[in-house]
Amino acid sequence: MDLSTFLLNLLRGGLGNLAAYLAAHVLLCLVPAFYIAGAMTALIPKESVTRFLGRNTPKFISYPAAALAGSVLAVCSCTIVPLFAGIYKKGAGLGPAITFLFFAPAANILALVYTGGVIGADLAFARLFLSLVFGIGIGLIMALIFSKSDLAHDKATDEMFAGQRGKGMNRAALGFLLILVALLLFGTLKIGLLTNSYGQVTLPIPGVDRFQDFLYTLVPYDAAKGEEGVTAQGAFLIGLLVLIGVSSWKGFEDIHNGFSRWTWIALGLVGATLLTAALGMQPHAGGLDILFTGKFFAVLLALGVLARLLRKRLSLDEQRDFLWESWRFVKQIFPLLVVGVFFVGVIRVIIRPEWIEALAGQNTLLGNLAGVVFGVFMYFPTLVEVPIAKMFLSLGMHRGPLLAYLMADPELSLQSILITSAIIGRLKVWVYVFWVALFSTLAGLIYGAWVDGTSLGLIALYLGLFLALLGTVLWLVNRRNVSRAAVSEVVSQV
Amino acid sequence: MLTIKVLGSGCANCKKLEAIAKQAAGSLGVEAEFVKVTDYNEIMAYNIMSTPGLVINEKVVSSGRIPNPDEVAGWLTEAMQAS
Repeated sequence: MDLSTFLLNLLRGGLGNLAAYLAAHVLLCLVPAFYIAGAMTALIPKESVTRFLGRNTPKFISYPAAALAGSVLAVCSCTIVPLFAGIYKKGAGLGPAITFLFFAPAANILALVYTGGVIGADLAFARLFLSLVFGIGIGLIMALIFSKSDLAHDKATDEMFAGQRGKGMNRAALGFLLILVALLLFGTLKIGLLTNSYGQVTLPIPGVDRFQDFLYTLVPYDAAKGEEGVTAQGAFLIGLLVLIGVSSWKGFEDIHNGFSRWTWIALGLVGATLLTAALGMQPHAGGLDILFTGKFFAVLLALGVLARLLRKRLSLDEQRDFLWESWRFVKQIFPLLVVGVFFVGVIRVIIRPEWIEALAGQNTLLGNLAGVVFGVFMYFPTLVEVPIAKMFLSLGMHRGPLLAYLMADPELSLQSILITSAIIGRLKVWVYVFWVALFSTLAGLIYGAWVDGTSLGLIALYLGLFLALLGTVLWLVNRRNVSRAAVSEVVSQV
Repeated sequence: MLTIKVLGSGCANCKKLEAIAKQAAGSLGVEAEFVKVTDYNEIMAYNIMSTPGLVINEKVVSSGRIPNPDEVAGWLTEAMQAS
């Protein structure tokens, strides 16, 4: 194979991957997810969660509250870093701050939805559940190890958290958010009620089938290798996506100076695109069959209710903040995701499945460690870890090491390590990195064992034993610290 | 003379907020000094939960969202009357 064919192959791999992702995954899963993230940022009053993060809140409330804040409030670094610094310096302390930091990138709505849509719901749930358990675990451990320096912070005031009253979320906003989530579920769930067809029309457009065959030759695919081709419907949707991009730029960029006609055009296009994506389309020689699936009607219903709520029940400020935040997420994340997906497609051509299979094809300690090490040393922009994981999966990586990688990658990146060390100091950060690496490996091993068919009871037993051991050690450390503190207090009083 | 501080580490929202605040100050014809605060320790001193934050004469008027130009103009007028 000479160099030019090789380069052409790389390019085709990249573009093919990109086209397949845009057509298959973006629309019904990522588009609603961006809007949900925007609605969460704009419509949920932060005080409703952060008031549980003050210094005087008992541990069994502050740790779960920190995790909740991580998944609900912290979809972007604008919130993650200030809130992390706030919890650490003025609120519940190092432990809950770490829990928050750990949980936020793994369990925010965008990451979960994307993992679920691209790789599978099982992995998304494993990511959520294990991040929750280990996030709280690592928080508790860090609080114990550094209990002495944490005490120093207790002298600072916590006016930022104390004296906050729950501002409760307004009911229309809550309803709006819930229906957005429903829209997402309607679009992505694969249950019969939604995927069955309840009606059909045939459009007499000749040549759609030939167009689709042409697309298949353009973007060759191999289902066995986990590759996806682009259908005629997919090509149509990509076109709509480009239109949305253009009209959004015109309609949302200057939204603080008032809504323009473009704002409504962009929103209309988003609705139309979601509806098109929910339809079933089957091209054949005589024309194009349009199937009205249950999904289509569910999406139509959800969109109708959303439009009504947005216009009639949300205040102008809420409408604007919601649209702006959603747009900002798209603008911030989407371009990087597109570039990332393209390069994943290029790299996919180069990597031989045998390498991955030899290293992490089985659920071994070494395989899980490899996943973690790769995650720690590679930094990918938000969400790009998901297509990369998908690539590894199609190359034969076991789901256990895959989870280990997915746990370690977004939690630890050079960027986040630098920012965090500016706030809590270098020593604490490296201790944190160590624990994350350990727990991610463990998470991979546990999940991998479950995938391989080990019974849940046995896994629970092992996990319980491990946690009990860890708990005992920590309890002993804690007791020693407390008695030392007591002694030094007595000494200082004397 | 007002001192307007924009708190935030330079993310997209902070730039947007600064532009809007400048626009509001310009339309009112207020003389104002703009300061960008990017250091997290300084930002934390204002007790805000999320950036971007807007501070006029050392008083936090908004945080975590981008106000519209009219709102900012209102705060600026208030601050001028107070000083």
